[in-house]
Amino acid sequence: MPELRKDPILGRWIIIAQERGKRPTDFLVEEYKVKGGFCPLCPGNEKTTPDEVLVYGREWGYANTPGWKLRVVPNKYPALIIEGELDKQGEGLYDRMNGIGAHEVIIESPNHQDRFSHLPPHQMLLTFQAFRERIRDLAKDHRFNYVVVFKNFGKAAGASLEHSHSQLVALPILPRMVTSELDGSLSYFKYKDRCIFCDIIRQELQQKVRLVCENDQFVTLTPFAPRSPFEMWVMPKRHNSSYIEQDDTSLIALAEIFSETLRRLDTCIPHVPYNFVLHTQPLRSGPLEHYHWHFEIVPKLTSIAGFEWGTGFYINPMPPEETCRYLREVKL
Amino acid sequence: MEKKRILLVDDEESIQLLYREEFEEEGYIVDSARNGAEALEKFRENPPDLVLLDINMPGMNGIEVLRQMKEMRATLPIILNSAYQEYKQDFGSWASEAYLVKSANMDELKATVRKYLG
Repeated sequence: MPELRKDPILGRWIIIAQERGKRPTDFLVEEYKVKGGFCPLCPGNEKTTPDEVLVYGREWGYANTPGWKLRVVPNKYPALIIEGELDKQGEGLYDRMNGIGAHEVIIESPNHQDRFSHLPPHQMLLTFQAFRERIRDLAKDHRFNYVVVFKNFGKAAGASLEHSHSQLVALPILPRMVTSELDGSLSYFKYKDRCIFCDIIRQELQQKVRLVCENDQFVTLTPFAPRSPFEMWVMPKRHNSSYIEQDDTSLIALAEIFSETLRRLDTCIPHVPYNFVLHTQPLRSGPLEHYHWHFEIVPKLTSIAGFEWGTGFYINPMPPEETCRYLREVKL
Repeated sequence: MEKKRILLVDDEESIQLLYREEFEEEGYIVDSARNGAEALEKFRENPPDLVLLDINMPGMNGIEVLRQMKEMRATLPIILNSAYQEYKQDFGSWASEAYLVKSANMDELKATVRKYLG
């Protein structure tokens, strides 16, 4: 019997339409092959990118030259531009403003062959540090209200370049997804006087049916109402609403659990395309008691068609308790 | 002084005619190709000084043509010239020197070509 499940934060419904006996290997995933060839993100081709805004690992030499371990560069052909004023306008009931924003690319490794999931934690750490430094820097610009940090891995998940990279976009407005999550967690807080994310973590650590892995600071779980099979959330155990408040000790623990989480996923379904997105508080908020920063990892294993567009429901063929079991039991 | 050579890659005949006329008037030699395979062949036969490259073409698309040309000559200036903005989301387009959306006003395109060819 299919089952309807409600996400306790967003109130979003999903359908678990379990296909009997479905295993991770039953998902059709295109094999990931590195084609190589000219790559604008590779060392030696720094001149094909805009000037770097952050670099790690280059101890000597000029900017925009090889010798780096991680680079952050603005998008060469951005959809939103950094220069100008917002010029907010109303036209009757319609609102508009200039397309001001920042779009940056985090080049996570100098090696074209590297995959993020298989980076050693100390190299992955640089990416998490770069996210923090770039958000902190962009927060100084008062035109921006939110920075979306995300990664697309694999063609099906929207990656158009094989060199390992993630992206961030600074926006003058709060995305609807963020406001829904803030509103949902605030309603829960008003009712129970507790952070819903802290409650989820507490319950999942007790029940252990959706707990994939943990370390002293973080937990990875498959959420109760996932949009996709093998969806996972990586959450800090200690309450904090802001990613940029994290110190290096916390980011080291994050890199360790993230590395383990992605390797578990990739071992269950080799080469699986996925997206991950950082969920954190808006730039202009103080600390929020009701909100809890975290990462959401969503493998691209199902398609979004008319039913999903029309209802906002997602159909998921595998319950999270089952995907969790596979993820937990896989040998690394 | 020897004339500079532009390789124009576009599957639309009207664009080919218009660009050929405009750039020959500017003093360049213009070679043309209607698809990626033909473009790579002409690229090898008669190496250009600059490539004007459409993206949405039958067969191999412009981003793939760009990748292959840059593999052969990384320093060659290549200008992507498409009717569509959305290919800007494809990081493969970064290998180009410039990305210009097709427009009836060719001033920006001509200025960009002059920037690279003088």
